[in-house]
Formats: sequence, structure tokens, C-alpha cells
Amino acid sequence: MKFGFHRISGLSLKLALTITVVVAGVAFTIGAVMVTIDWQRFHRELEGKALLLAHSVSATAADDILRKDHWSLFKTLKKMAKEGPDELRETRIVTAMIIDPEGLVLAHLHPNDHPLGLPLTHRDEREEQLSIAIRKIRSPRIFSSDIGIFSNRRFLEGVVPIYSDQILLGFVRVRLSHQELFQKAQRSALIILGLTLALVVLGSLLGATISRRITKPLTALTEGMEAVGRGELSGIGPVLVKDDDELGRLAATFNNMARELAEKKSLEEQIAVSEKLVALGRISAGVAHEINNPLAGLMNCIDTLKKHPNDQELVDRYLPLLDKGLNRIKNIVESLLIELRAEDAQVTDNASSLEDLRGIVESEISGRNIDFVWDNDLGQDVLINKRRVQQIVLNLLKNSIQAVPEAGMVKFKTFREGNSVILEVSDNGSGIPPEYRNQLFDPFFTTKNNGTGLGLWIVYRLVESMRGVIEVETEVGKGTLFQVTLPTMEVYT
Amino acid sequence: MLRKQTVYILLMIVALIGATGTSHADYVKANKQNSPVQFGLTAVVVRENLRFLNQWAHYLSEKLGHPVEFVRRKSYRDVMDLLDTGQIDFAWICGFPFVKKRDPEFIQLISVPVYAGKPLYHSFIIVHKDSPYQSIEDLEDKVFAFSDPESNSGFLFPQYLLAQQGKTPEGHFRQTFFTYNHAETIEAVAEQVANGGAVDSYIWEYLNDRRPELTEKTRIIKTSPAFGFPPLVARVGVDPWMVRRMKDVLLKMSDDPEGREFLSGLKLDGFGEPSPELFDSIRKMVAETRKALPWAAAAENRKNRLAGGKE
Repeated sequence: MKFGFHRISGLSLKLALTITVVVAGVAFTIGAVMVTIDWQRFHRELEGKALLLAHSVSATAADDILRKDHWSLFKTLKKMAKEGPDELRETRIVTAMIIDPEGLVLAHLHPNDHPLGLPLTHRDEREEQLSIAIRKIRSPRIFSSDIGIFSNRRFLEGVVPIYSDQILLGFVRVRLSHQELFQKAQRSALIILGLTLALVVLGSLLGATISRRITKPLTALTEGMEAVGRGELSGIGPVLVKDDDELGRLAATFNNMARELAEKKSLEEQIAVSEKLVALGRISAGVAHEINNPLAGLMNCIDTLKKHPNDQELVDRYLPLLDKGLNRIKNIVESLLIELRAEDAQVTDNASSLEDLRGIVESEISGRNIDFVWDNDLGQDVLINKRRVQQIVLNLLKNSIQAVPEAGMVKFKTFREGNSVILEVSDNGSGIPPEYRNQLFDPFFTTKNNGTGLGLWIVYRLVESMRGVIEVETEVGKGTLFQVTLPTMEVYT
Repeated sequence: MLRKQTVYILLMIVALIGATGTSHADYVKANKQNSPVQFGLTAVVVRENLRFLNQWAHYLSEKLGHPVEFVRRKSYRDVMDLLDTGQIDFAWICGFPFVKKRDPEFIQLISVPVYAGKPLYHSFIIVHKDSPYQSIEDLEDKVFAFSDPESNSGFLFPQYLLAQQGKTPEGHFRQTFFTYNHAETIEAVAEQVANGGAVDSYIWEYLNDRRPELTEKTRIIKTSPAFGFPPLVARVGVDPWMVRRMKDVLLKMSDDPEGREFLSGLKLDGFGEPSPELFDSIRKMVAETRKALPWAAAAENRKNRLAGGKE
């Protein structure tokens, strides 16, 4: 399951992930830059506001200071804090004040904490240093708190000196909270974050689409190639060719290849069928020939007997000939139908019954100088189909004995290998010439003068009937090895 | 010279005849104009009630048969100057400027409002309700808000209180300023811009009714003796017929429902006939302040110059 998933989604996942990561990286970078730019813009705006507010107060402050009209100064501050223009409404004025050049309060938005006519009270040393610095300026300026960026107490202060006829009368200080900056920056950051996330989602969707488009034909190709590997050439649906790109051309090439392979296979099948027909024709001709030969003699005898029905001598002479001829035909037909002899299939015995053959083979050898090696490794525990296996072994051994020259060697060997029983018959005879190898198991094929050409054919049919395999290793001048592999299950039956 | 005097006398005679039985047409004819009667308002009323005052002006115009226009200026002195220069005909001023000596006299008393049954009011010394101060002495070296340098309740009375102890406002308080408006004095104390202030009791009570959220932030630590209520005056040069008509209209306001509505809007019972000794207590206070601090008048003048009055 895991491997299947991995195989299907490996490349598509990687591609989609890569595209998503790239899009996310770009989007977040742009987002961060935009947030920074926004922050700076808001900061400048806030500075502008602070100065604007301080200027608005300083415009009327000079006259009021000269008149010592503290109430009017206070009202100006109050009005500024209360009734700023609409765009300043959300600006949080932390405090505002008008101080004289000596640092005494002329007016303060929080008169209770900073009474009129007294030096400004400072919350801490930092504030005091700020006040000293402010009293030194001679033109409008922005002062920023040097408190940590994320402190709530962070502020911006617009300071405008008040002049009348070039004489310094005091300073307007308007302090704005950074809170607005934070809120604005937060709002725009949220919007940018939302856009970024939307871009990332779109990017991953795009990535998934692209990778699907790429990997789908690749997956189809892979499946096609696996089918080719298994030899299932007819079952390959052509891979869909969508575009004329690299993938499209690859798919088209694969489709061509698959089609050509399929054509080749069907051609080969046709050839195999015609080869079978040829073999069948050869077999039919052989059968006809073998039966026709004795038939001619038999017909002759019968004709002669018809002409001389009362000639006892002819009857005595021809009857055995008829009997012999008919038996020959019967043997041929029996050999051809060998596997159909049902009673053979039921005769089973343990493998030691092969020992019965030993005597028969040795008597066959008698008189010849042949080294016969018998190496039966199968014990009582292995059941075999006695008749059939005996027939196979006997036919092969007879062939070998006939094939070896004087002082030759014939070897019989049996053993078990896993669930199979192996029978090996080998000799050091002349080997089988290459031109005969294809017809070795054909019926009626023989190189011997008095052979029927049915021995190996019978072996072949018997092995096949037991779902075994027969293999031949041969080399001219060196010898031949027949190896029969029979499945144990079959042997048991 | 003689001819000029003759013309003046003749004019006076015409005016006197007009005063006994002339009509509006005669007034318009005599003044060769139909321009509105200019009526000056000072901080003795809440001048910011624009809609109410416009309706009242409309009412007065109808009763008078001649258009009336209210004129507002920042300080009492501005209004007095308008009277002096003939730019306005009538004004509602304070008892303090009224009792000041003028040569030649250019105003004449026509009516004194009746407040809570009497033509009297007080000065309140107020502090913020959360402050610890119990008397004007406690406000030493503090910030004090005056209403107007020509205000009886808003300046003369606290000055008098300090003068009793041989002190001046500059010496007693760390810082003083004028708001030129009783309502704003209350605001200055409520906002704690000033630690204490002196206001008109009528204005304080009027606002206590209309804007209690403001007055409830203040606490009265001293109430003055009763003074004559800020009077309504006419310029000396105004046609006597018109002066009489105006006085008539004002005095009869309490007789008709519409008039009573305006009076209740002003929180007044009506406009009454002035009695000459009504402002004696203010005169006495001025005299005592001057006596205690012979140089106070000069100091006051100097301060007025610096603190705003007229440049």
C-alpha cells in the first residue's frame, strides 16, 4: 500500500511541493517587503500628523502666550485633541503641552498631573532627557521614544517652537501613540498575509495540476512498459498523446513501439500455427506410409488366398504373414495412442520398481563392451507411475545403448530436487547432429535402418502427459544427456 | 457756536416730545433709519445658547415693533466700549462696570432681572470636587481662574476677599488667568486647569440645571453676600422713546405666556424696576478693596493690560 502510493505520487508530490515551496517563498518575501514598506509609510504619515497637529497649535499660541491667556492655550490643545480632521480621528494623542523656554508648563492636556506655571513633571529620567533635548531645538522636529519596538508606551512626538518676532516663546509638544501605527500595520499585514496564503494555495493547486499533467502520461508509460515486460502486448492501450511536447513525443514513440511489438507477436503466432500444420502434415504422411507398407503385402496375400481358397499350403504360409502385418499396424496405432491407455495411469508403485529395468537393460547390452552405470537414488517413499516411467527410462536407455560405440558408457541417474523427480540418461556417443535436433521428437523420425521413429516421440508424449519437461544436451562427438523432470505430485498419482 | 447749541436744544425738545407721545414711525423718522436696535450681551448670560437668544431677539423685535439684534463680544470691557462709542444701544452688563465712575456718564439703568424672587445673586468660589481645598486661603500658590477683569462675581469679589487679608491675586496665587466667560471658568476648574475659580452664582446654577455633568465636578467653598443682579442698561444717547419702549417690553415679559417661556429659559422670574441702592454693596466692596490696597487699582490695570483686556 505504502509502496503503491509512493510509486504513484512520488514525482507528482515532489513537483507540487517544489512549486508550492517556491510560490510560498516568493509570496512571503514580497509580503514581508510590503509590510516593511507599509510600516515605514505609516511611520512617516504619523510623523507628518504629529508635526501637523503641533503646527496647528503653534499657529495661535504666540498671541495667547504673550497675553498669558493660559485658558485659551489649554482650549487650543483641547480642541486639537478633540476635533482633529477626520483622518486624524483614530490617532491617539497621548499628550500635548505648551511649555515655555525655561520648561515651565504654559498649558497641558493633563493639567492635573502637570500644573500650570510649574516645571514639567517627568515620569522617568528618559523623559527628563527628552525635555532637555526638546528645549534645545529651534525648528520643528520629530522625537521618537527609544523604548523597545513592541512596547505600548512607544510614541512619536512632534515639537514645534513658537516664535514671535524671532523671540522664542515656547514649544508645542504633541505626542502620538504608536498604537495607531501598530493597528494600521497589523491590518495591512493581515491583508497581505491573506493574499500570500491565497497565492500559496493557488500555487499548490497549479503545482498539483502541472505535476499531474506530467506524471499521468509517465505513469501510463510505466504501466505500458510493465505490460510489455510481461509480454502482454495485446492489452496495451495507447498512451494518450495530448501535446506536441517532449512528453507527447515520448508517448507517441512508445505507442509506435508497442504497436510494432504487437504486430511482430501476431506474426510469430501465425508462423507457429503454420509450423504446427507442417508438422501435422509430416506426421500424417508418416502414419500413412507406415500403415500403407504392410497393407500392400496384406492385400497381396488376401488376393492370392481369394484366388486359391482351397490351397491349404497357401493359407498356412499367408496366415502368419497376415497376422504379422496386422500386428505391425496395431503396434503402430497403439504407439500413436500411447497416452490413451487408461489402465497405465492407475498402476503406481514406489520408485524402487525402476530396479526391474536394470536386468532388461543389461540383457540388451549383453555381448557388447559397454560400461553401464546405474545410480537410482529414489527410495521407497517416492511413488511413481510405474508403467509410464519404466517406458520412458527404457526407451531412452535403448536409444543410448544403440548410440554408443564399443567401450562406450551409458549412465542412468535419478534424484529428487525439491518437488521434482529428475531422471537422467546420458551417454558418450556421437551426439545428435544439429540438423536433426528440431525433429528429434517427431513421430516416425529415425536415423536407424530398422527403427520405427516412435521411441522418442512416445517418451515426449508420456512426459507431456505427466506435465513434465524433457531437455536434451548434446554435442557431436562427445555425447548426449536426456534429462526428464517430473513433478512429484504427478508421480504420486 | 450759539447756533449749534440752539440746534442741540431743539433736538432735545423734539426728543422729549417724542418721549411723551411719539410713535415708532416718528422714531424711525427722527433717527432717519430702520436699522436694528443693537443689544450687547456679556458673560452674565450664557451667550452660547444661539437658538434661544435668536428666538428671544425675535420676540423682543415683535414686541418692540422694531428689529433687535444681540451683539456678543469677548469681554465686558469690549461691550462697555461699544456702548461708549455708540455702536450699541442697550447692553446686559455686570454690576461692577455699572458702579464704576464714568465721566461723562454714558449709560442709564433700565432694568434689573429678578432671580429666585429677588434682583440678587452671589459670587461662588469653586474648586474641583476631588480637591482638598476648603477656602480661598488653601488656594495659596495655586492656579486660579477669573471670569472677567470687569466681573463683580468673577473677579472683584475674590480680589476683595484677598484684599481683606492684605493680599493681591498675584501674590496669593501662583498663576491666574481670565476665561472671559463664567461657564468656561467652571470648565477650567472641572478640567483642573485651574485649582479654583470665581463664578456668577446665577450662571453656575443655570449650568447646574442644563449641564450638571460639568458643575458636579466642582464644589462651592465660598458664597459671597448678595449683590445686585447684573443690570440691563441703555446708552445715554438712545432715543428716550425707544428706551421707554424697551423697558416696557422687558418689564411686561412676565405678563404674557410667551415672555414667561423665555424667562424660564433664562431661569429668571422677570425684569424689574431697579432701586438705586441695589448696587451699593458692590460700590462698598470696590471702595473697601481700594482702601485696603491703594495700589491695587493700578496693579489691576497693569494686569488687565497684560492678561488680555484690550491691547
